Amino acid sequence: MKRKMLTILMSMTMLTSVLSGCGTSGKETAEKTETDASAAAEEKSQSDETTQEPSEEVTLTVLAGQSTTDAGIEDMIDEALAEKYPNITLEWECVDWGNDFQPKMQQYMQSGLPDIMIGKAQDVATYAPQGILGEIDSTYLDRVLDAASENVTIDGKTYGLVYNALYQGVYYNKDMFKENGWEIPKTVDELQAIIDDCKKKGITPFASHMVDTWSIGNVTMQFAMNDVFNHNPTWGDDFRAGKTSFADSEEMKTAYRYNELIYQNTFPETFSTEQTDCDAKMVKGEAAMKVSGSWSIQNFLDIDENFNFGIFPFPNQTGDSKLIFEPNITIMTSADSEHQDAINCVLDVLTNDKELAVEIYDYTKTAAMLKDVTPTFANPSQADIDDYAAKGMIVDVTLGNNQLVWGGFQEENAKDIAAWLQGDCTFEDALKASDARVDASSAN
Amino acid sequence: MTKKMTRQYLVLVLPGFIIFTIGLILPMLMALRYSFTSWDGMSKVKEYVGFQNYIDLFHDRDFLSAWWFTIRFTIGNTIIQNVFALLFAVALDSGIKAQKLYRTAFFVPCLISSLIVGFIWLKMYSNVLPAVNDLLGTHFDFLLFGNKDTVLTGLLIANNWQWIGYWMLIYLAGLQSIPAELYEAARVDGAGSVSRFFNITIPMLAPAITICVVGITTGSLKVYDLLVSSTKGGPGRASTSIIYQTYTTAINTRQYGYGSAMSVTLVIALLLVALIQVKQLKAREVQA
Repeated sequence: MKRKMLTILMSMTMLTSVLSGCGTSGKETAEKTETDASAAAEEKSQSDETTQEPSEEVTLTVLAGQSTTDAGIEDMIDEALAEKYPNITLEWECVDWGNDFQPKMQQYMQSGLPDIMIGKAQDVATYAPQGILGEIDSTYLDRVLDAASENVTIDGKTYGLVYNALYQGVYYNKDMFKENGWEIPKTVDELQAIIDDCKKKGITPFASHMVDTWSIGNVTMQFAMNDVFNHNPTWGDDFRAGKTSFADSEEMKTAYRYNELIYQNTFPETFSTEQTDCDAKMVKGEAAMKVSGSWSIQNFLDIDENFNFGIFPFPNQTGDSKLIFEPNITIMTSADSEHQDAINCVLDVLTNDKELAVEIYDYTKTAAMLKDVTPTFANPSQADIDDYAAKGMIVDVTLGNNQLVWGGFQEENAKDIAAWLQGDCTFEDALKASDARVDASSAN
Repeated sequence: MTKKMTRQYLVLVLPGFIIFTIGLILPMLMALRYSFTSWDGMSKVKEYVGFQNYIDLFHDRDFLSAWWFTIRFTIGNTIIQNVFALLFAVALDSGIKAQKLYRTAFFVPCLISSLIVGFIWLKMYSNVLPAVNDLLGTHFDFLLFGNKDTVLTGLLIANNWQWIGYWMLIYLAGLQSIPAELYEAARVDGAGSVSRFFNITIPMLAPAITICVVGITTGSLKVYDLLVSSTKGGPGRASTSIIYQTYTTAINTRQYGYGSAMSVTLVIALLLVALIQVKQLKAREVQA
C-alpha cells in the first residue's frame, strides 16, 4: 500500500514538473487543449455538412496550370491534406499555364477530365459553357471574398474558386523616385517627363523582357483596361458584333502604341532578356520602372529582400487609370468526377486551413482571396495597393480577359506587336491582324 | 515450306506494323479527316468545310512566313552541317593526335535535349558572350536572338553546334570503310589529295551523304523544341517554324481543323523532299 501511494505521489510530482517545464501551467494547457478541441470541432462542424471524408482511399487527379510563382505549392497542399484527410491523395500534373494548360485541357476533354483543374479565373469562361465543370458548393465559396466569385459565375452558378490575386501596374524603384524627386505620374505627359529625366541622367526608364511574348500581351491588356475598357466595358463584345475594330478604335490604337513607348525606353537587349534577368536589372537599379504584375515580387525579394518598390497604374489618356487586379489561382472541378466527396475535402482544406493559405500567399507573394486571411510577407508595394483600394481605383482585368481571351487571341496579337516593334510589319498590319483574328477572340 | 516462311515473316512484321499503324498511320488519317473540318478541338461538332482550310492556307501570311523561315533554316542547316561534319570527319580520319578527345567533344552536344540547347544559347547570347565583350573591351553584337535579321543566324549556330558531331560520326564511319587500296592506287597513278578527295572519298561516301542529307533536311523541317526554349518563335514571328505555327494554330487558337491542314502540307513536303533526295542521291552511290 505504501509502495502504491509512493508511486502515485511520484507520478504526480513528475507530471507537475513536466507541465511546469513546458512553461505553461496545467490549467493553461488544459484550457489550450480545450480551445484547440473546440476550434477543431468548430472547424469540423463547418466542414461536416458538405464535406464527408471518403471511407476508402481515393486518389484524385489534378491538372495544375501554374504561373512561375506557383511551382511548389502542390507540396504544401499535399502536406495539409494528408494531415486532415489522410485517405485522399492528389496525383499532380503541373504544367505552365501560359503554354500548356489549354493544350492539356483540350487533350483531356477528349479522354476524360482530371478531378480537379487549377487555372486562372478566365478559364471558367472558356470551359464552363462546354458543360464540363462542376459547380462549386456555397460552403466553400462563402469562405472566399465576394469579389472573387463575380467573374467565375455564369448564369448564377459558380464554377471556380478563386484562391489568390495579383496586382498589375508599373512597379517603380521607390528610392530612385525619391532621390530624383519624381512624383507618381497620373498622366502620360507626367510619365513622359520622368522618362525624359531618366534619359538625361543615363537611367533606363523601363525594364522589360520582350523575348517573353506573353509579357507584351500582358502589358497590352493593362493598357487596354485603362484606355479602352474603362470607357467601354463591352468593347470586346462590340468588336465581335462588328461595331468597332482594332484598326478603327483610337483608344485601342493608343493602347497598342504604348508598347512602342516602352520599347523605345527600355534595354536594347529586351528581345534577348528573360524575366529573371530583367527583374535582377530592375533590383540593381539599372531601370526605374517595370510594367508588370505581382509575379515579379517573388524575384525582386529573392534577389534583394530589402528592395524598396511601389506600384502605380500605367497612366492613361484621361488621367484616371486604375490599378489592375487579377484573380489568379482558380480551382475548378470536373462535372463528371466520381469522387465529389473527396473533391469537397480538398476544397475544404484549401478554404479552411488558414495556416496553409498564409504559407501559400507568403510563398507566391500574392494577395489573399480567402476571408480573414492576411499574408505575412513584407510587401513594400502593399501601401500603394491599399491606397488605390481605399480610393476605389482598382479594376478587375477578368473583364477584359473574358471578352478578349488570352489563348489564341491576346498572345497572337502580342506576336504581331513584337513584329511591328521589330519593323517586320507596319502598325496598321498589326492592327489588321488582330481584327482578322476576331473568331478566336472569344472562348466560345 | 513457303506457307511456314510467310507465317514467320508475318509474326516478325506484325508487332511493328501494329505499332506503326496505331502511332503514325491512324493519326495521319485522322489529321487528314480533321483538315476538312472547322473543328476547334473541343466541341463535339466537326463541321465539314471541304477544301476551304487548304484554300485559306495560301492567303495566310503567318503560314507562308512560317514556311519561308523553315525553308531557310533547312537549307542553311543542310549545307553547313554536311560540309562541316565532313570536314571534321576527314580531319579526324587523317590520324591527328587526341582523335578520341575531339570526337567526344564534338559528339557530346547531340546528347543534350534540344530544349536545353535552346536555353544554353539564349543564355550564351544574352549573358555569357556580352560578359566576354565587357571583359575584353570589345563591342561585338551577340544579341542574335533579339533581332529579326539575326535570329536565323543565331539558331543555325545553336543547331549546328548540337548536331555537327552526330553527322560527323556517320561520315567518319563511312571514311573508315573506304578500302585503303583505292587511295594507294590513286597515289600510284599520280592523283593529288584534292583529286583523291573528289574522285574517291566523295563517291565512296555517297551512302553516308544520302543518310546525312535526308536526315538533316527532314530534321530541320521539323524544328520545334529548339525554338520553344530560345526564341519562342520570335522576335515577333521571325523564327516561327511550320511545326510551331501548326501547334499554336491547332492548340492555342483552337483551330484544330485548320492546324490539321497545315500538318498535312508538312507531311506532303517531308515525303516529297525525302523521296527526291533519296532518288537523286541513290543514283550517285557507288559500291567499293
